[in-house]
Amino acid sequence: MSTAREAILGAIRASLAASRAHDRTAATVDHAPAASASPATPARAPLPVLGGATSAWAAASTTVPGDLAARFAAQLEAAGGHCTRVTPEAAAAAVAALLERAGARHVAVSSSPLAARLAAPRAARWTLVHAAEATRDALFACDAGVSAAQWGIAATGTIVLDAAVERSRLVSLVPPLHIALLHTRDLRPTLADVLALVAPAGGAPSHAVTLVTGPSRTSDIELTLAIGVHGPVELHVVLIDDDDPPHTPHDTLHPG
Amino acid sequence: MSREPSPGMTASATPAEFDRRAREALGDAQLHGALHRATTLFAERRRNAMASVGDWESARERARAIKDETLLHLDRYLEQFAAAAERAGAVVHWARDAREACAIIGGIARARGARTVVKSKSMATEEIHLNAALAAGGLEPVETDLGEYIIQLAGETPSHIVVPAIHKTRGQIAALLAAKLGIAVGDDVASLTAAARTTLRQRFAAADLGISGVNFGVAETGTILILENEGNARLTITLPRTHIALMGIEKVIPRVADLDVFLQLLPRSGTGQALTTYQSLITGRRPASADGPDELHIVLLDNGRSAMLARAVTRQALACIRCGACLNACPVYQQIGGHAYGSVYPGPIGAVITPQLAGLHEAAALPYASSLCGACRDACPVKIDIPALLLHLRGSVVERRAAGPRRGERLAFRLYRAAMARPALYLLAARLMRAAQRLLGARADGALAARLVPPLGAWTAWRDLRPVARRSFRDEWSHGLGDAGRGGSETK
Repeated sequence: MSTAREAILGAIRASLAASRAHDRTAATVDHAPAASASPATPARAPLPVLGGATSAWAAASTTVPGDLAARFAAQLEAAGGHCTRVTPEAAAAAVAALLERAGARHVAVSSSPLAARLAAPRAARWTLVHAAEATRDALFACDAGVSAAQWGIAATGTIVLDAAVERSRLVSLVPPLHIALLHTRDLRPTLADVLALVAPAGGAPSHAVTLVTGPSRTSDIELTLAIGVHGPVELHVVLIDDDDPPHTPHDTLHPG
Repeated sequence: MSREPSPGMTASATPAEFDRRAREALGDAQLHGALHRATTLFAERRRNAMASVGDWESARERARAIKDETLLHLDRYLEQFAAAAERAGAVVHWARDAREACAIIGGIARARGARTVVKSKSMATEEIHLNAALAAGGLEPVETDLGEYIIQLAGETPSHIVVPAIHKTRGQIAALLAAKLGIAVGDDVASLTAAARTTLRQRFAAADLGISGVNFGVAETGTILILENEGNARLTITLPRTHIALMGIEKVIPRVADLDVFLQLLPRSGTGQALTTYQSLITGRRPASADGPDELHIVLLDNGRSAMLARAVTRQALACIRCGACLNACPVYQQIGGHAYGSVYPGPIGAVITPQLAGLHEAAALPYASSLCGACRDACPVKIDIPALLLHLRGSVVERRAAGPRRGERLAFRLYRAAMARPALYLLAARLMRAAQRLLGARADGALAARLVPPLGAWTAWRDLRPVARRSFRDEWSHGLGDAGRGGSETK
């Protein structure tokens, strides 16, 4: 067993024990503002002791007004991204139009079958670079990346990429244009809703879950906003309207 | 300088050194302009962002309660975190101090024959002076956050937790890129950013090791969360074969669901965003079929944190989520900027953390770098009572004589105590002062015209000396003030 581990845990226990002894006797003689601002150290309780989403704050933040898709699109635009709402039949044409407008020659696609199908080359204007087979250099040379997104958060215009579902980590990050395909049935009102989906009932999320809200940005030079510093300059979400009733998709989310 | 600065420090923060740097900063007009713009803008964005949360105050209460609960059982939450991370395939290391953390990270790099190391922004790596340690071992760490990259090229240290190069102008940055990289680039922000992107892409392509910090570690799942806007952290933790994450032991929170409230608070308090552009939740190692690094190492860093648990008043500083809101709110930071503090963590939170990490003697001036106005406490998203902590640390500075012997101050307070405890002595002292101020003369506003001589002159250099009332309350009372409602007390 690591000696540093035992030393750190031992130091923590010693400090907490000292604090319990001190807080019991010294609340009145030590600095009163601090004593009132932080609770005195209680006896040790079983874990976890905090309740779930029962606070006043949680209750106040769980409602998102209006239509989820409209809200999602508005928030995404506010974050500097773009959103196009299409029917399933029109999705391929929408993706092609975006790629043509960008003058894309090499298009990276994730391992999502939907992405490969919707980004299929038209009139040989571009070639597909498949994430699962491509070298890093080939990905770096791509003009655009197309992936699906597993969830969307209406309150913030956020898309959620789960690396266990498809190889999308680099496709969504390295090329200057990222086109993400999202079904309206996968929209959820809030971040809390999505956290409950990626880590259901205390289960662990997959190895990499990425939340993306708008294009890459920085304000590091004179606080002036610059778009596309390391990640995509442009994020475009193609929101596919489906008439299917909302269901729990992603039976593939946690295989096994 | 005779030796390397201590962990958590970038320079000495003894009273004399702090005083010298603060005066320098006060005379720097360009720095003033930059600080004014930044702190005003961030405060405004923060206020707007707060308005979009249903109940900001409840969110603060909730976040603080989660932090308090975790810190009071930190040993158990850390064990739970480490076990869960290991189950998911991460390798967990424990580092008692900065030296041990640097040795662990350097060891991993050497064992893998790494040469180029890319780093995303991490205050903890600044705290342990990781770059200097890696460079001493023949490695080349490259900061990839735009602001940190600029600072690294300039050979400086960050001056703000969120915007490290806040003190630099476009023109200075263009000159820096020309001098260090030999590239001619216009001084508009878009060109500068594009030049940095191009240069850093080559470094990313060549990197064999990626080092990041951690914003939150989730005990129940072993997940680490990394927030950013640029995408450099995603590249850092995706491209190289090995990812090392340095995490202060106070970063652990119990559950994934708890991330919700912290993600409502942190971006809004830091940059005024509802969410930063990217949140990466990383849990252990990738399966063979997925993309990402082959291995994940998490280095848990104590470096003085466990000792801060020993009192409720000091423990609260461990609740800090490093948003920087207290810097922007602080009238002292607004005037002197980050470098004057001489500490890795500047501003109000730095003034309370640094003396506890680096030692009181190293940072004796910092608890005094505040007017105790309380703006930091009001801005803090986890309600840390920074003024109470500053007072506590001032007490410790005096008790341990950390700011030197201060014989004059001690003598003055001893006399004050003697006078306040003995009525006869008190009356005599008041009579002497009345006699003395008749000789000194008063200005029109009632303040005494005179200035005190050193060392007491330090008080009157910035303040008026107020006169003692000509007739004391005690005199008024003995002359019948208590009998009737006759006339207000005469103080002129």
